[in-house]
Amino acid sequence: MDNGGSEGIMSEVIVENVTKKFGNFVALDNVNLTIKPKEFFVLLGPSGSGKTTLLRLIAGLEDITEGSIYIGGKKVNDVPPKDRNVAMVFQNYALYPHFNVFDNIALTLKVRGYSKDAIKSRVSEIAKILHIEDILNKKPRELSGGQQQRVALARALVREPSVFLLDEPLSNLDAKLRVEARSFLRSLQKEVGVTTVFVTHDQSEAMALATTIAVLDKGIIKQVGDPYELYTKPKDIFTAGFIGSPAMNMIPGKLVKDGSSWRFVSEDFSVQLINTEFENEYDVILGIRPEHITLVKDDGINAKINNVEPMGAVTYLDIQVGSVELTVQYTGLIKLEAGMEIKVKFVEEKMLFYDRKTEKLLNV
Amino acid sequence: MNRNQVIKIGLVFAAPLIIYFLIFFIYPIYLLFKYSFTSASGAFSFINFENMIRDPILYDSLINTLYYFIGSVAVQFSAGFIAAVILNSYTGRLKNAFRSILYIPLTISPIVIALMWLIIFNPTYGPVDYMLDMNLNWLGSMNLAMPTIILANAWEYIPFVFLIIYAGLQSVPKQYYEAASIDGMSRFQTFRYITLPSIRPIMIIAFLLNSIGILQGFTLVYVLTNGGPGFSTYILSFYIYKVAFTYFNLNYASALSLLFLVIIGIYVYAILKLSSVEKYLGIKK
Amino acid sequence: MKKLDAFLLILLIIFSFFALFPIYWTVITALKVNSEIFTIPPVFFPTKITFSNFYTPGTTFGEVSQTAFGSFPWLINSTIIALASSLIGTFVIGAPAAYALTRYLKNVWFARLILFMMMIPEAAFIIPFYVIITKLNMINTWWGLILVYISFTAPLSTWLLMGFFSDIPKSVEEAASIDGLSAFSTFYKIALPMVIPGIMVSIILNFINAWNEFIYALVLTYTPFPTGAQTVPLYLTDFIVIEKSFAWGGLAAAGVIVMLPSIILGIYAQKYLVKGWTMGAVKE
Ligand SMILES: Nc1ncnc2c1ncn2[C@@H]1O[C@H](COP(=O)(O)OP(=O)(O)O)[C@@H](O)[C@H]1O
Ligand SMILES: [Mg+2]
Repeated sequence: MDNGGSEGIMSEVIVENVTKKFGNFVALDNVNLTIKPKEFFVLLGPSGSGKTTLLRLIAGLEDITEGSIYIGGKKVNDVPPKDRNVAMVFQNYALYPHFNVFDNIALTLKVRGYSKDAIKSRVSEIAKILHIEDILNKKPRELSGGQQQRVALARALVREPSVFLLDEPLSNLDAKLRVEARSFLRSLQKEVGVTTVFVTHDQSEAMALATTIAVLDKGIIKQVGDPYELYTKPKDIFTAGFIGSPAMNMIPGKLVKDGSSWRFVSEDFSVQLINTEFENEYDVILGIRPEHITLVKDDGINAKINNVEPMGAVTYLDIQVGSVELTVQYTGLIKLEAGMEIKVKFVEEKMLFYDRKTEKLLNV
Repeated sequence: MNRNQVIKIGLVFAAPLIIYFLIFFIYPIYLLFKYSFTSASGAFSFINFENMIRDPILYDSLINTLYYFIGSVAVQFSAGFIAAVILNSYTGRLKNAFRSILYIPLTISPIVIALMWLIIFNPTYGPVDYMLDMNLNWLGSMNLAMPTIILANAWEYIPFVFLIIYAGLQSVPKQYYEAASIDGMSRFQTFRYITLPSIRPIMIIAFLLNSIGILQGFTLVYVLTNGGPGFSTYILSFYIYKVAFTYFNLNYASALSLLFLVIIGIYVYAILKLSSVEKYLGIKK
Repeated sequence: MKKLDAFLLILLIIFSFFALFPIYWTVITALKVNSEIFTIPPVFFPTKITFSNFYTPGTTFGEVSQTAFGSFPWLINSTIIALASSLIGTFVIGAPAAYALTRYLKNVWFARLILFMMMIPEAAFIIPFYVIITKLNMINTWWGLILVYISFTAPLSTWLLMGFFSDIPKSVEEAASIDGLSAFSTFYKIALPMVIPGIMVSIILNFINAWNEFIYALVLTYTPFPTGAQTVPLYLTDFIVIEKSFAWGGLAAAGVIVMLPSIILGIYAQKYLVKGWTMGAVKE
């Protein structure tokens, strides 16, 4: 697509101390974000965490209670949606049911005063990119979910917006289509090069698409970072538990100074830490990902297998260690059965300790 | 958009309605007040309201209106309800045809209904007296005139109640009935514990809207009985018309109109307060 | 099950008989010759069919005569007045107001106001309307009746369309605002086309109500087209009063002409009627 000379497309979005209240209910609490030009920015959080609300604030569909939003360096608090040059794909696509596909895409160009020829050429250009050239005469209700989604994308992208906003656009697709659409979206965004804010509650979708992820919970930004950072060093218990599938194992216990080194002591076992230092003794929660628990022959923690789930490339084991159940990911297939006794070990440098009071990461 | 912009745009969209409302609702009410408090000589006065207290025809009209209203509601609501339940239970192929047939009278003008009734209830050549093998002077008898009006009116509005309640019955999810049959409920229990509670909101809406239609009654009285025999079918709307356009006492008729509005206002307010109809209609959370 | 259905079928046939018999009787009376109208016992199945009650040579327009054909000038008035008050009530007032009330002015009191406007019995307003229309010098004119009829077409349209508007997903209109449409083009280009079924019901119900209206026409008009704005229900009352005792055939024929359009339109709109009346509380 021709985007030479389009200044909007390079826009940066800054969300500054934004709070949004519905009546007394605080949907967003003092949110700060910087979304860099051309970035694929994903807002990730469980349902009801305020993702849609934040997206709608950027679009101008809701009023900001406190704080400011800047798009391309310009404060847009009082700019109506139509003048923000943002484009949005709604969760249900929100296509105009009484227009055919061509008119759905063309409307925004028409109201912006493009000539007939310009409209035609741009619509067919974007239709080609999205592979919808042969359905331009159909009405939305005659389309499949995947086609509707592409039309919604085409409508949003046709006028080269400054910011491209997507609210769970893949959630209405079936599993196979969803994975296809992911890679398609990713390459489309690269090609068009537009600043993109993508909302999802699906962490694997976020990991697959994002250059940067912001994790949102109950209206509060928990962590912002690239997928690698979020996966390896989640800064709090919420993010740790939310990112990764199967979820990170969480084991309550205590950090105890044992001579010159430290020791993690839980109800059922204790682990000697060799390379990790702490300031104080803490009540903690140990977080350890399933792939960072290894099976060992001897000198490990005793466990009993509850369940074996062979997936092919990996095998998941549910194991019982005293009163806690842990998930272990073993690379490859392994011949084990429920009821068997095994020994496991935690990879020390991957162990994450969270203060039980503040729920914050203690490792540095 | 902030609140002020929202309200501004809303007011622009609603402007035609608001302007119309001011000229054709507020101003008329103002006029009614003005005339009501004006005496024959043109001075400010309470005389019209004082006259009300001593007006035996008004007294008759109010009683008749109550009779007409309660009779109409009772007949229309019960018949409409029964017809809806019957059609809903019927599983034959003609379901939709019956629905259309039972709905037709609703579309017919009251004036045409009056005409039909004149012909059909004619004591000499009418088919009704013949079929009943009686010779009743339906519209000319003190005791029968009002019931005849109520029936003629019911013929038109039973279909309204029927249509709404039938739609309500149809919208009860099938799973409820399936669950009830698995629980071993009898037909009557199912109706009592599943159907009725499910359509309660719709019954209340039907009741409210039905009341509106009934309160409009005027045409039938005007054409069929002209208030008679005696004053036996004088209802308030007819009396207002008489006072205004036969006796040309606009001031007194205005006072009567105000009385009518107050009565209806209280009635509607009571329904809204006592039922959750506004919630059902989605106009209130 | 079979047995119950058979029993219900009988009941339904009885109900249908009550619903249809008066219509049947009116239609056959319109088609009967006088000798079969005025006879004892009444004739339930006419042996001779005639259209002379609708038209005989020599019938003149504009006279309350023995044939229905004379009602033509009243029919013209009825058509124009019903159409105009229905369309104005729907498009000029009802649709924008309903849109405002569902999207911008979401206050119970506005909705209550509409309900109140619908509840007002015509009789209570005849005096002020008579005074206003007289002041406007519009007695016995099309515009006089049209303006007054809007007092019931506009609230009904607003009421019906509120249900339809609140049913369409808000996100479509938001998409339009992001696409660059103003609030007003969003309404005309996006929202309005999405409630076309509601618009149809509104136009039809308004038309039927205006077509059937009696009391305002009685008070505000006194001559037929071309000199005045009397509508066809008044033709019928004149007919009843003047010809009461002897012209049942012509009267019934005129009745058929008056009820035919409203029955046809009514059946056409039937599908959306309940949804409209109940503001979408019941969906069919
Ligand atoms: N218009 C509104 N009025 C009141 N509460 C709202 C409104 N929109 C959203 N909320 C509330 O704000 C919270 C966040 O909603 P939302 O942004 O839609 O969450 P998400 O998209 O993350 O699922 C929810 O608790 C929701 O109920
Ligand atoms: Mg959401």
